[in-house]
Amino acid sequence: MAETPVWLAAAEAVLNRNIASQARARRLAGRLEGKSLSVDVTGVLALRATCLGGRLLLCREEAAAEPADAVISGPPAALLTLSTGGNRPAGAGSVQVRGDAEVAAQYRDLLRAARPDWEEELSRWLGDVPARRLGVFARRAFSWGRSARRSFGENIAEYLQEESRTLVNRVELDEFLRGVDHLRETGDRVAARLKRLERRLQDAG
Amino acid sequence: MTEKRTADFGYETVDWAEKAARVRSVFASVAGKYDVMNDLMSFGVHRLWKQFTLSLTGLRPGQRALDVAGGTGDLAAGMLRQVGKQGRVVLSDINPAMLARGRDRLIDAGLVGNVECLVADAECLPFEDNSFDCVTIGFGLRNVTDKEAALRSMHRVLKPGGQLLVLEFSKPTLPGLAPIYDAYSFKVLPWLGGIVAQDAASYRYLAESIRMHPDQETLLAMLTQAGFAQARYHNLSGGIVALHRGYKL
Repeated sequence: MAETPVWLAAAEAVLNRNIASQARARRLAGRLEGKSLSVDVTGVLALRATCLGGRLLLCREEAAAEPADAVISGPPAALLTLSTGGNRPAGAGSVQVRGDAEVAAQYRDLLRAARPDWEEELSRWLGDVPARRLGVFARRAFSWGRSARRSFGENIAEYLQEESRTLVNRVELDEFLRGVDHLRETGDRVAARLKRLERRLQDAG
Repeated sequence: MTEKRTADFGYETVDWAEKAARVRSVFASVAGKYDVMNDLMSFGVHRLWKQFTLSLTGLRPGQRALDVAGGTGDLAAGMLRQVGKQGRVVLSDINPAMLARGRDRLIDAGLVGNVECLVADAECLPFEDNSFDCVTIGFGLRNVTDKEAALRSMHRVLKPGGQLLVLEFSKPTLPGLAPIYDAYSFKVLPWLGGIVAQDAASYRYLAESIRMHPDQETLLAMLTQAGFAQARYHNLSGGIVALHRGYKL
């Protein structure tokens, strides 16, 4: 079955336009000629990317006839971090690479080089001014969402730690852990002294 | 005794050699109202289908493209904008009346100088091997008598690495859509054709020819058989239309 969803074809067209317009991306696509990468977004979908004739072809993994040269799998957030070149380590460790790691790395570089400018893409359909306004709105909404998520987390933590006392706060936890460490060290010292005393008793006996 | 070769003309079975002439007479009859009928019949959605097709050509300035059975030149006009003044687009159709409409529309849109219009049969395209970076055929393949020969011919004129895009009516895949689509095709379309184009029979042929056209998977196999690599398709509007693509390697 070689039915490919329309959204995937649209994404492919945007990426190929960017590959065609950038010398570095063209070089990378040339180096990857005939090589394929499978991207398994855990629990969401699996895609196959293949470079052919300097173009990137995208299809569903189940439509591919042959095994891929490399496979990258992981949760959506971790793969997104990897593809956007973000240096946020969270989740990056949960990405797994199988097969030819060099091919996987080159595909990552290709996708970063051909990364679309969504505002520019929107302007092709909507015009410059609406696309710019939509871009500003999206950035503000994203920024608001991020700060709302952070402050929500902080409020929840404060309630659980300071008001309901369900959880201990960081200072109390650190103090408790220090106490545990101190207790362990004291216990170790006492055990060592007891052993020494036992040895002396045996020597005296 | 040799068996007489036949072809489908809608639900009719006609002599192999007769189909091209009958198709020609259909399109000669509707050429004048072709564009307005397309807008009416599809509620303007045919423009989105064509825009989607154009977004996948991958054409760059300076390249060459061929629009087979190009009719009134919608795809050719889009490709002319993509290849720019340094590029070249050929608009071909077997029907001189449709081609004349297409040529006039391109001139009216100011698209001149790097476009050629010529009457050509899709089954034996009059071009050298490896001539074009992209070949399109929009709503034309189902009217071709020998579809396999047309696909082979389009494969021949493509440059290695070039892409074929076949935009054509297909089989609805959206659950529940088929009966509504059938009612619309066999009741509304001929009625609309009768009122607007004064030709109900041609629009009855349109509905019948769509039903006789290979479905998505069959056409996909035909592309592969003709030598196209990485062949695949995209269903549009619930499978009413499908865009098939393949590359010449």
